[in-house]
Amino acid sequence: MHDMTLSELDQLGDEVAVSEATFQMDEDAFRLFYERTARPVWAYLSRMSGDTKLADDLLQETYYRFLRANVSLESDAHRRNYLFRIATNLVRDLRRRPRVAESQLADGIGDIEHADPQSADAANGAVRRLDLARSMARLKPRERELLWLAYAQGSSHKEIAETLGLKSGSIKLLLFRARRRLAGLLREGGR
Amino acid sequence: MIAECVREADVLEAVAFGRWPEQCGDLAAHVAGCEVCADLVEVARALHDDRAWLCREAQPPSAGMVWWRATIRARAEAARTAARPISVLQGIAGACFVGAAAGLLTVAWHSVHWMDRIGELALSLASRRADIAAASTIAAGHGLPILIAVAAGLVLAPLALYITLADD
Repeated sequence: MHDMTLSELDQLGDEVAVSEATFQMDEDAFRLFYERTARPVWAYLSRMSGDTKLADDLLQETYYRFLRANVSLESDAHRRNYLFRIATNLVRDLRRRPRVAESQLADGIGDIEHADPQSADAANGAVRRLDLARSMARLKPRERELLWLAYAQGSSHKEIAETLGLKSGSIKLLLFRARRRLAGLLREGGR
Repeated sequence: MIAECVREADVLEAVAFGRWPEQCGDLAAHVAGCEVCADLVEVARALHDDRAWLCREAQPPSAGMVWWRATIRARAEAARTAARPISVLQGIAGACFVGAAAGLLTVAWHSVHWMDRIGELALSLASRRADIAAASTIAAGHGLPILIAVAAGLVLAPLALYITLADD
């Protein structure tokens, strides 16, 4: 089958109406929701994938899947959790692909190393972020997800369980272990 | 085994709201002697600061751009979904043409043998039936090209029609 041209797309007026009707929210509501969530979701994707360019692509895909999902979400918090769930699954799918090795989905260290700090504070911040990136790279993917959602995103144990598809009762123990491990790595300077 | 501290929530709140460590005299003294809270501060502060930096540095595409791309993609997917049954029918039609062509060729092949036998039968007749024998030989000699021409016409005509319609 050949790719659709723009003129062919224009002829599909009826299908357009159908596809837009399948989006769960209208454009204005989407704009508001996107403005509130895009940066945190991008930050999550960036740290979980370890690649800022990949995070750009994954961000678009995350919102597309969110728009196409026919789920009833009563509150903004539910919508946000659902968004992070989609983002988590996208990164996991990417990791399962044979050609995308874990080293490629690693740590984002390259982005930080190439940063150009212009002051002492900025330089210290860059060093801390580099330590964090190296330490995070040594954790299991699930540990990274848990820690980010809990301490960067501020999600509750119930929200983390929903986002990661884990039992709510197991979050406390998993989080405790991951936290202890990351704290140890950070004290060693990420090495 | 999980080691817990009753002041974990206070520590987390102080880090999350940017009060750590300047506005946390009492809490800072506790953290200095509590291994659990010290781990929590180490991790929560690093992740909190990293998120804040990433959110500042992030340059996500505009909401309008994301919406527009999603709409275009939804249109294309809807078009593909709508076109799928037509493609299936075209495939079935193509398979039918191929089957019919194969059937016609088989029939034509058998007919040629049958006509050859008629020719042989005619030749075996006595010379007094020389006119009939000659006619049969001619029929046998020209039977194959005629049958192939008819079969080719039957196959190519619908095929040409199919290709023309498929382009539309």
